[in-house]
Formats: sequence, C-alpha cells, structure tokens
Amino acid sequence: MVEKQRGAMRLAACDPAAHALGLTAGMALADARARVPDLAVFDHDPVADLNLLGWIADGCERYTPACMLDPPQGLLLDITGCEHVFGDAARLAQDLHARLSRHGFTCRIALGGTPDSAQAKARYAARAISDVPVEALDGGDKVHKALRRAGLRSIGDLAARPRKPLAARFGKAVVVRLARLLEEEDPRITPRRSLPIIHVAQNFAEPISRTNDVLATIEMLAGSAALQLQERGQGGRRFEIRLFRSDGHVARLAVDTGTPTRDAALLMRLIRERIDALSDPLDPGFGYDLIRLEVPLAEVLANVQVGLETKIDTNAAAAALIDRLSVRLGAERVRQFHARQSHIPERAALERAAQSDARKVDWPKPVPGEPAMRPFRLFETPQPIEVTAGFPEGEPRSFRWRRHVHRVTRVEGPERISPEWWRHPRGYAPGNGSLTRDYYRVEDNEGRRFWLFRRGLYDEIERPLWYLHGIFA
Amino acid sequence: MSYAELACTSSYSFLRGASPPSDYVAEGIRRGLTAIGIADRNTVSGVVRAWKALGDAPDEARSALLAAKRDAGEPEQLTEAEEAACEPNIRFLAGSRLVFSDGTPDIIAYPATRQGWGNLTRLLTVGNMRATKGSCILKFDDLRDHLGDLLLIVMPYATADAEEAHKNPPVYAFKESAKPIAAPSHLKLVSTAPQDWESVLRRLAPVHAGKLWLGVSTHHRGKDKRQLAWYRQVANAFDVPLLATNDPLYATRDQRPLHDIITCIRMGTTIQKAGFALEANAERYIKTAHDMAHLFHACPEAVAETERFAAHIHFDLEQLKYEYPHEPVPGGWTPDDWLAHLVWTAAHERYGAALPEKIRKSIETELAFIRTEKFAYYFLTVHDLVKFARDQKPPILCQGRGSAANSTVCFLLGVTSVDPLTNTLLFSRFISSDRKEPPDIDVDFEHERREEVMQYIYRRYGRHRAAIAGTIIHYRPRSAVREVGKALGLTEDVTTRMVSTVWGSFGSGPDDRRLVEAGFDPDNPEIARLKALSEQLIKFPRHLSQHVGGFILTENRLDETVPIHNGAMKDRNFIEWDKDDIDALGLMKVDVLALGMLTCIRKAYDMMREQGIGDYDLKVDIDSDDPNVYDMLCRGESLGVFQVESRAQMNMLPRMKPRSLYDLTIQVAIVRPGPIQGDMVHPYLRRRNGEEKVEYPSPAAPYPPDELKHVLGKTLGVPLFQEQAMNLAITAAEFSEADANRLRKAMATFRNVGGMEHFETMMVEGMVRRGYERDFAQRCFGQIQGFGSYGFPESHALSFARLVYVSSWIKHYHPAIFAAALLNSQPMGFYAPAQIVRDAQENGVEVRPIDVNASHWDNRIEQGALRLGMRQIDGFRAVWAQAIVAHRPFASIEDLARRAALPPAAVHLLADADAVRSLGFDRREGAWEARRTPSDELPLFAAANARELGAEADAMLPAMPASEHVAADYQMTRLSLKGHPMQFLRGMFAHEGVLSCAEANAVKNGKRVRVAGVVLVRQRPGKGNAIFITIEDESGVTNILLWARLFDRQRRAVMASRLIIAEGEIQRSKEGVVHLMATNIIDRTDDLARLSETHPANVGKPKIDEFARPHPPRGSHPRDVRILPKSRDFH
Repeated sequence: MVEKQRGAMRLAACDPAAHALGLTAGMALADARARVPDLAVFDHDPVADLNLLGWIADGCERYTPACMLDPPQGLLLDITGCEHVFGDAARLAQDLHARLSRHGFTCRIALGGTPDSAQAKARYAARAISDVPVEALDGGDKVHKALRRAGLRSIGDLAARPRKPLAARFGKAVVVRLARLLEEEDPRITPRRSLPIIHVAQNFAEPISRTNDVLATIEMLAGSAALQLQERGQGGRRFEIRLFRSDGHVARLAVDTGTPTRDAALLMRLIRERIDALSDPLDPGFGYDLIRLEVPLAEVLANVQVGLETKIDTNAAAAALIDRLSVRLGAERVRQFHARQSHIPERAALERAAQSDARKVDWPKPVPGEPAMRPFRLFETPQPIEVTAGFPEGEPRSFRWRRHVHRVTRVEGPERISPEWWRHPRGYAPGNGSLTRDYYRVEDNEGRRFWLFRRGLYDEIERPLWYLHGIFA
Repeated sequence: MSYAELACTSSYSFLRGASPPSDYVAEGIRRGLTAIGIADRNTVSGVVRAWKALGDAPDEARSALLAAKRDAGEPEQLTEAEEAACEPNIRFLAGSRLVFSDGTPDIIAYPATRQGWGNLTRLLTVGNMRATKGSCILKFDDLRDHLGDLLLIVMPYATADAEEAHKNPPVYAFKESAKPIAAPSHLKLVSTAPQDWESVLRRLAPVHAGKLWLGVSTHHRGKDKRQLAWYRQVANAFDVPLLATNDPLYATRDQRPLHDIITCIRMGTTIQKAGFALEANAERYIKTAHDMAHLFHACPEAVAETERFAAHIHFDLEQLKYEYPHEPVPGGWTPDDWLAHLVWTAAHERYGAALPEKIRKSIETELAFIRTEKFAYYFLTVHDLVKFARDQKPPILCQGRGSAANSTVCFLLGVTSVDPLTNTLLFSRFISSDRKEPPDIDVDFEHERREEVMQYIYRRYGRHRAAIAGTIIHYRPRSAVREVGKALGLTEDVTTRMVSTVWGSFGSGPDDRRLVEAGFDPDNPEIARLKALSEQLIKFPRHLSQHVGGFILTENRLDETVPIHNGAMKDRNFIEWDKDDIDALGLMKVDVLALGMLTCIRKAYDMMREQGIGDYDLKVDIDSDDPNVYDMLCRGESLGVFQVESRAQMNMLPRMKPRSLYDLTIQVAIVRPGPIQGDMVHPYLRRRNGEEKVEYPSPAAPYPPDELKHVLGKTLGVPLFQEQAMNLAITAAEFSEADANRLRKAMATFRNVGGMEHFETMMVEGMVRRGYERDFAQRCFGQIQGFGSYGFPESHALSFARLVYVSSWIKHYHPAIFAAALLNSQPMGFYAPAQIVRDAQENGVEVRPIDVNASHWDNRIEQGALRLGMRQIDGFRAVWAQAIVAHRPFASIEDLARRAALPPAAVHLLADADAVRSLGFDRREGAWEARRTPSDELPLFAAANARELGAEADAMLPAMPASEHVAADYQMTRLSLKGHPMQFLRGMFAHEGVLSCAEANAVKNGKRVRVAGVVLVRQRPGKGNAIFITIEDESGVTNILLWARLFDRQRRAVMASRLIIAEGEIQRSKEGVVHLMATNIIDRTDDLARLSETHPANVGKPKIDEFARPHPPRGSHPRDVRILPKSRDFH
C-alpha cells in the first residue's frame, strides 16, 4: 500500500511477504523499488480501512452495544454486564476470535479492567500490563524517547517509581494515562453509536432464515417497542432493525418517518416496502441468530402543519423528476446529453446516465449575431456525397446527396479540424493519425443549409472523399 | 511573391512554442522566406540563438555539403553555385510579443533601430520588475512610455494568463531619474487599458502613424474570410495596413502533438481532458509565400506588407556593442597605462628590480595584446573585485580558476596564483585574436562570504549596470518523461517507473532494454508514445534561472541592451541571456564563484594566526615543494584535502607518487570521467612508473613523425587535458582553427545540446587519413567526448593543484587545525565528521568532547588539542552557543538554563549530547535532570520555582551501557569519542568468523575472507561496470570492489544497508593498495539496533563520491553552491 506523504510516495502498509524482504511502512517508494524492483503496490485507502473497521464493529455489537472504534486498527468493547450471555469474558473473547478468524482477519484480543489497559495489552501483544512498552502512554515521541533514554522502557519500570517526578517532567496527562493503564482509574468508553432510546431484541438458539419468520419477529419486536413508546408518550421518528447473521454479517434496515409514530401496523408496512425496494434482497445466508429493533430518535407525538405556499424550483423539479424516474426505472436507463470538450463534432456531446455525478462541462455559448458554427442536426454516420469542388482545397460548388444534386450558392469555410492524434496508436508520428477534415457550411439554391466536409487534405491522401455531416434548420 | 514570417513563437515562450528558435531559422531557409522574426512572449531570450543559428548556417551548409561529397568520393571543393547556395537569403529579425496583463490584445514589437531595441528591453524590464521571477506584468501604459522606434503589429486577440505580482518590487533606481509623467493626472484617471484591438488602433494610430500594423491570420477557423474583410474595413478606417502572419507555434506541422503536450503541461491537465485548450488543427507552422498568397488571395496586400515591414528594420543584434565600466581607473590615467603601471609595480615587488627575462617578455606581449584588443577595463574590473576582497577585515580569500591562470598579468594582479616563473603558461589558451571572444576570468571566493563581493558589485556599479547572467534550465530526461507521462494521463506509478528507467541526468530518454527490465513492453503504443514525445521534449528550455555568479557589467544602462529580471533571492537581478548568448554577442562577464575549500583554508589560517603559528594568505607564502607534504600524499593520506580526498583519488595517489605541483595538476585531472572514459589513466600510470615505453603514435610518411610529441610531451604521450585534446584535433586530424573552436564549444555545451557526432567522423577519419591507427584515433575521440562531461583544462587543474597543496600542507603540519577548519566548514567534501575526527586522532591529535563549560560554537584548538564545538550537535543553534559562552562557568543544569536563557529544547540537546559532564551528570542523569528544569520563565516565577526544585528523590535510573552511549553519540553528533559501533558487535562477528578491517587488510594476497563494517561510501564510477564500497570498523577501513554483474543479484543488500558483511578475495597491488574483490554482500544493518534500542545509531547515509556523480564546477543554482549536492545513491 502506498500513500503520498510529505510530497513523496511512501509505503503505508506492507504484507508479511514484504516485511520479510525488509520493507517497512514509512519507507519511500523509490527506496523500496530500489530494493525490490518488482514490488507490487496499491494505493492506500484509509477511508476503506475505516469502513472495514466499522463493518467489524457492527458485527461486534452482537456482544455489546457499547463499542468504540480505535482507528486505524483497533476496537474497544465495553462488555461490562454482557459476558454472562457467553458464560464469561474469556468465552466471549474466544467466540469473537473464532468469528474474526473465520473472515480471514488476524486479531489480538486482550481483556483489561480499563479500556486503556486492554488497548495497550492488545496493541503491544503483552500478557501483563507491566510488560507493555512506554509508548503505550501515548505521550508523543518526545516523551517516549526521553523515558527510554532514562532507561525506563516499560510500564512496569514506571509503576515502581514515584509519580511526582514524572508529572513534573512530562505533565499530568502522562500520569493520568499511567493510572488508567495500571487500572487505578476507570474511565468509560464513548460508544460509536449513541445508545438508543428504546431497544428490543430477540435471540435465537437456532438461526432463522425464512423471510416470513424474520418479518414475524420484527412485527413482534415492533409491537413491544410501540408499547414502550406509548408508555413514554412518544412516537418514533426513526426505526432501525439490525439482522445479525450467524456468519458475522450485519444487515441494517432503517425507516424514517416524516412524523412521529408508534403505529406498529404502519411501521410494518414501511418496513415491508423498504425490504421490497432493496436493490439486493435480504440474504439470510445460514440464518440470523439475533434480530434487534432500535428507536434512536423519538419525539412527542403531535401533528405538524405543512406550509400552504411553496415556490417550485424548476431545476430542482427536474432533478427531482430525474431522481424519481431513476428510482423507478433504474439509474442507467434515464439518460441525458452532456457537453464534452472536443473539437471533433461527433465527440462534442456525450450521452450519460442523468444521475451521473461526473463533472459537468458547460455547453459552448453561441456568439450573438453569428450564424451557428454547428448544425442543428448531426448525422450519427456522415453520409457519403459526391462533390464538385475547386482543386486543391477549394470550396464545394455542388454536391449530390440521395440522388439529388444540390447547387451550392453560398459557402463559408473551411473549418479545419485535425484528428485527435492521442486516440490513435501511433498518432503522434506524421501520417499515422486519422485524416484531417475540412468542414464547409453551405447553402443550396433552395435555401437549404448543409454541413459538408472533405475527409483528408491533398497532401495526406490522394483522393479525399466528401461527406454530409449535418443539416442546419 | 515573397513573404516574411514575423510572429514565430519559439520554445523560449515557455510551454507555448514547440520549436526551438534555430528550427524556425532552418525552416525559414527551407521554405524560402525573405525574413524570419522571432517574437516570444515578453522576452528576447531566444533571439540570440536564432541569430547565431543564422550566422552559423553557411558554415554548416558548407560542411554538410563537403561531407556529402567526401562520402561520395568526389573532390572536396565547392563550385561557385554551391558556394552561393550555402549563403541563406534570409534576414533574421529580433522582436518580442508583448502580452499585457490588463486585457490589451497582444502586440508584436520590433525595434527599427538600436534605440528601438533599448526601448523594447527597457519596456520588458519594467514588466519583469513588477513580477516574481520568470514572469512579466506589462500594462498598456508602459508601452506608451516606450514607443520610440518600435514597429508594432497589433494582434486581434489577447493570450494573457494571470501573472504573479512581486509582493514588494525592488527599488530599481536609475541614475537619471524616470522622465516626469507627461500626461496630466486627470487624464490618467479616466484612461483604462484598451480591451479590444479596435481601441488599440484608435489609441495608437494617431500617435504612432506609419509604425503600426494589424496582424491577421487565417487558421481555417470556419469564418476566416468574413473576419478578414472586417479587419480590412476597420483597419482601413484607421489607415493602418494589414500584415499577414501565420502566427506560428511550431516550425513544421509534425510538431503539433508536441505542442498539444506542452499545452497540457502548461495547463496542468491531461491530453484527454484538455479539450478546447488545444488547437483545433495543425495549421500554425511556417508556410511558404505561395501558401500564404493562396490563403490571402482576397487580401494580397497583407502578404506583400510583410516585406515592406522587414525593410523598415535597420537593427541587428550585431549592433549591441557595449562598453566596459570605467570605474577602476583613477583620474588622469588611461586604462592601458594604469594596468601597465599596476602590473609592472607588482612584478618588481615580486621578482625584484631586475625582472627575469621570461617574466618581462610575457608581460610585454600580454600588455601589448590587451592594448590592441582594448581589454584593459576588463582586467582592471577583475582586479578591482579581487582587491576589494583582500582589503576586507578579515580578508576574503579568493583565487582565479580556469584559463585565466595562463596569464602572467592575471598572476601579477593577484587574480590567479600559478607562478609564471616556475610554470609554463600558454597565454594563447586564455585569449587569442583567433577567437573573437572576450576573455573569461573566473574567480573563486570563500563560499560563506561571496555574497559580500556580490553586494559590492551592485554597490559599485549600481543595479542598472550590473546583473547576473541568466541560465536556461532545460528539460532533462527524467523531468521530460515525468511531465509527458502526466500530460498523457498515465498514472503516477507508471510514470514513476518509467522515470526510473532513465539513466543519469543527461543523455537521451528511456532505452528499450531498461524498459523491458522495468516490466514495460516498448512496443506497447502507450509506452512508445510516451517515449517518442518525451524524447522530443528533452533539451527544451523549461524556465529561466540565474547563473551561479557570472556578472555582466556595463558602462551604460544595462537594461537598454537586455531585459533584466528579479532573482529568486532578494537583492539579485539577472538578465535573460545565458552564457552562450553573451559569448555570441561578445559581451563581457566576470564570474564570481564560491568555493567551500577557500572557506576552510581561511578558517584554518585564522586559527593559525590565533595560535601564533603565523600569518598566511593564499599567495605564495607556502612554497609548493615540501617533500614531507608529498610523502603524506604518496601514502594516500588525503582525507579532507581539496580535490584528492575521494576514494578513487586516494587509491591513485600511491600509484602516481606526486612529487611536484605539476604532478598534483595531473592527479587532479586524471581521476575524472574524461580520462577514464578515454581509457587514458592506466597507460599514463604505466609510463610514469617506467613499465611502458613512452611512445608517440606517428602519422604516415609526408607528415612530421614527432608532431604528437609537441602536443603530448608533458603528459608522457597520453592526452589528459582539454587543451591537449584540442591541439590533437588540430595537429593530427587537421582541424581548422574554426573547426577546433567549434569542437571546444561543442565540448562545453555537449551536455545540453549534443552535436558531437558530427565531430567524431571528422576527427577519426582525419587522423586515419593521415596514417594514425583507427583504434588510437577512436580512443582520442572517446576522451574528448568524456571532456564534454567535466574534463579539466590544464590551467584550471593548475589553479586547483595549488589549493591541493595548501590544504595538504595544513593537514600535514597542523592536523588539529585542519580538522577543526574542516568541521567548521561542513557540509563540505566527502567525509562525515566521524571520519574527519578519526583521521585527526590517527594523526596524533587529541580530541576533546563537547562540554558546556569548554566548547564554543565552532570547533576550536585548546592547548594543541581539538575541542569539539557545539555546532556538531544536530539541531543546535549558534545563538544558544553564544549565550553559553558569554555566561559560563555554570554550576548546574538549572544554572545553565537560567543564566544562558536557553529554551528547553537546547538544554535537552546538550544533555542528550553528553555535554554536561562538567556539571556532574552523565548523559542519562543529565537528560533526566534537564527535563525538570524550567526555563525562559518570568524571573518572579523562576524564584518561586527555585525552591521547589531543590529536593527530589533519586530516580535510581539504570546505568547506560557503553554501546548505548556510542549509539547516542552518533545520533546526536554523528561521531563518538567513546568508541566505534562495530566494537560492540565484534564478539558476535568474531564468533561468526568475520575479520576486522585491519585483519582483512593484513592477510596475504588471494585469501578468501569475510569482513564486516559500516558502509562509508558506495560509488559506481565511469562506465559503471564496477561498484566500489568502502566500509569502516574500529580498526580501519576496507575497500571493496564488486563487479556489476554480481551487483544485480545483490542490489538490495548493496543499496540499502548501513552495515554489511562482504565475502571475497583479498587482492593486493604492488603499491600496497588492498581491495576485497567481493562475491557476496550481506545486509546486517539490523545488527546496529543491538547497540541500543533507544538510540538508532546514525552512522550516516553514505555519501557518494564525486567520481560517481560528478557535479559540474558551475551551473548549479547559487543557493546550492555552498553545499555539496545532496548525496544520492545510484539506481
């Protein structure tokens, strides 16, 4: 994995094979290449890493709702009070380890009385907190270096010494952190998701997989949630259902309502619709072993009046239409023309999905008072025509199109357009590209206006051919 | 029908024109134009090249024709008709395209007279001064202030981009103040810049009648005819004639792809995305009169007008004669008399009342020559600079280098230091009437104080009369590949990989073999395209920069000769012509260069004075024939000595056994790519050691058999110097003076523009024809080619040899002072402080550690011993050191921090560098103590804290092992007086059966050994078929040689390791030089971590020898001259 750091490409992470070759994260790519010329590199994508970590965290919520990301590679779970479901904490860790290993992750799990101690033990693969190196203090390079230079290498070395000189030299924060590492002080973790107002869950001894069973479970959960809401005099604005698959995957369904509700039937209708609208339908795989319904957002149940008069923005309306059509017909089916910067006429416009988020290029603005340079209608395939013209490179005098001879009365041109040489394999070398075109805007004796071109200059080709490429209105 | 193209945009309109100026001239000749005008964007930097290309055209045409005839076996004579055909019937016109930043359409300006040229360059200077380096901000009003004698072609469109304004434009005061503003201010208020061509005509037509044209082009844009009719109508109304131009962006139509690419590079986009930024077609090339007549058949007068326009121009660059400054001559003297007075006085001072005949004669000839060529002012100017430097308190050391050392006058003026009495000088190599060029004197100054000399020049001559020469930075293969790759839309990793296939900085683009090695298919269209286009871009000018130190001085305003730019450094300005342009025009240049060794020598002299050893300067106080000094050099002990300290030079010294200054001259010149590539080194050594007879290859019968003896006698028949290479071409291959001169030029500029192939056939065939062996001829040429990349002229080597001797003399007699001066002048040379200190210790110098109660910022001499200074601590600052020196002695760390008012970082550095032992702390305790010591607090709080700091329980820190101390020393100061990192690993290595360097060097020839050490130097000299590695341990150094074929297998170990084990066979030469011929290199860098887990032992990244990556003596950026190029490993 490589990443641009301080202006140079550097290794962000390497696999075990690369480590074996002596490559380490932080090394400049050029140096690494000098050592291993055939090194395979990929762009480092920290966002994807974080997403993956989030995905794992989702799965871990089967153990506890209090789960915290410890990026780039760690997760903190507060399992206080949750361990009995699995027997004890060690069993829980075993289960977690088994699940993660099944997905091909290498992991280290450590249990500790405080998040800090567990984190340090996991990070430095230490059995006891006293073996953990001083870097676990997270005090910054300077502090770690100073401690190491003083011959103090591990938390154990520090534990034995008085705290006051430490505080004097390295500040309060280091001492606090030390206390937490030594489990003398217990902070709480901040879970990544705020705990829901209401949550109800159903565990299954045997995973269920039929959709009807799933829906029935949800309905049951919705009923009990509605009951709880009623007790509070509230209505839910947002309902989240999480389906924990036995293989670790977590599917999440969320339903938002415009107004607060606690109507279980309405909720079920919304949920069914939501499930139907899923682009990839629920895949129960080997079945769900836990289904949970949460109400993270609830309000006092009251009616809200909708405004009587609103202005409609046409652009927004068009966008809304595109959105609606795209939802109904599929994003790829609703298409739109986009401008493209190219001198070659047939490449100057491009048809793309209307919802495409590619950068939009403005259409060229017509010059006021100037006749249009491009025809109203462009033929997809230029039509071959026979032309009488001055030689060489003279203007067309008459042409025959579809067996009808048009006498040219007015003509303007040529507009000479060279091929885009970079689109031809050896186009940079003379004579290898495609042919240059000379376009003429002409008007025949009946006032019809055409767009003709001669394909090829006389020094490029012996007998250039003529084509009709479009008609002006 | 005739036609002149007047709006050529050349490659000097950076990234806008796709053809160099010379291509336009060539194409103009080919297409039969009557005149060709180069008009680059707000610059005239390309015109001299075009002008020169035209000047050289007849000669080149003639040579080409003769060569063709020779090949065809016809007699080498030209008929009159052929002779006439060689004379091109074309004029070259120098102009500029004015591009305005205020919305005014472009205007192309041509000076009609010399005065017009002055106006044009002044106008451009005004714009340049407003902008940051390299751009130009022109306003329409500026043009109105400089209209005189300028012919203007108004273009109907603007091509301006946003330019970056200079934040605080320098005051650029002229002696005669700017003319008072003519227009009443209330009129100025309403005047805004004209935004279209019609209003330009409306404004200019009344005030500039007869010198105004409207430039029109038909580029096949679809409505050309209508537009032309309109231009014609409006222009007629203003009574302004139309002038046809094709506004070319390239000389031939084929160059359109390259033009598209440079457009993409300029816009920072890719060819796929550039869209309408690219031209729609390939029409903007040089067209013939016939083509133009066809295009303008509706308006033939516009084509005819070009001829009339050219006829208005009476200016040619040849008219740029200028005068040297008159300052240095006192009133009542003529320059010649004053120079003669100075020289004769100096001569008598040096040689007594009765001058030696040799000296008297050479002074007389030189003075007579200077008088006829009117160079006296030039010599006096240089003398003035040198005098200024020497008159400073303390004086600035300086010494002339290069061909000027061939002049007795220069010696007597104190510019050079090669004594003409004891050395044979060749004045004609310096200047001669054959070469229509001004003399070129280069003077080196101490690198730390050169700025003083430069500011003196500005003070003395004024900013309007002095400026630094420009340098054109060209695209090099690597940058060309990278930029073209980006423009073609290739991904960054492909481009980076492509770049890695390019060898070196010069030469051509990627070659196929390397491409295949890197995993590319050369036939892949994308790769082929990248290769083809980047090859075209190589040698394109990329931007304008400034010369290292070449000053142009004039008697009159310099900006009336050439536009001046702001330098990147404050207080610097430079002109837009480079060295070659200046030479071509015969302008005078004084090179004010910087040399690190001079700083070192001056620092050594200062210390010697302080120590009461004596008062020396560079002149001749130290004779150059002390046998003890030569003995030291013959032993190869040259660490730190100027020029001969590299590993290769050290190996050569015992073989060369130099005994005189001339031997040193050869020594300096011989270990260079030129002689090495020409395979001249070993023959010379064999002959010198009497193993081979000194022979002079002879030509066949009619020619004098001993002609080469005259040329090569001094170097035993082996050509080693540039002068000899030239002489060889003249004598043996019958080059004409002009040819030899062109060869010399080609040698000088070979790196940038090529052109040597032509001379190869000429020389080799010439020598073979006269009866020399082809093999010998080929070898001679090979050497000349080598000179192209950094060969030494003899006189230059002589000047340097003086410095070699002086630095060796100091090293031999005052090793402590020498080491201190070297350390104080770092970064310089090849060796890290650790090696310098070690070398001093081996020479019996006592070295004392850094201590807050004893050290200064600089390394100093303390009772004959070397006391390391605080500058050795990485990251320490001179101001801290000064505060420490001012307030000592100190009793405690707290005392140190308080009284010297040091920030915590400084105290920590001192403690970590183990510099607080005199306060009773070792490194570990010191650092622990330092961390709790508050500093830079308000005294009130400090007093309150003082009590609190009193007692603290002993932290009982574990003791620091010796290995960790050494590692920490290396980390903080890059050297350790406590030991060598290797000694702590010795046990482990001994167990593995690995020898120490000293043991390895002592085994008998041919024995296979394993030896380990820290890598000092890696180099791949010359053709690159061998890699030299030098390793070091606590016992000494071992030199390892690894053949390139073995290298490829162990690339990683060789390239990346700091600590290696080398396996191989010991080879011992009869001079006692020992090498390990390695077969296997093992990376053991990780073992360094065993020393200390907390202090990564910074044994330093090995530096690369000059030999491997020779850096040109000049031509780099002035900011870099003080530092040797950053070490870089070869790939």
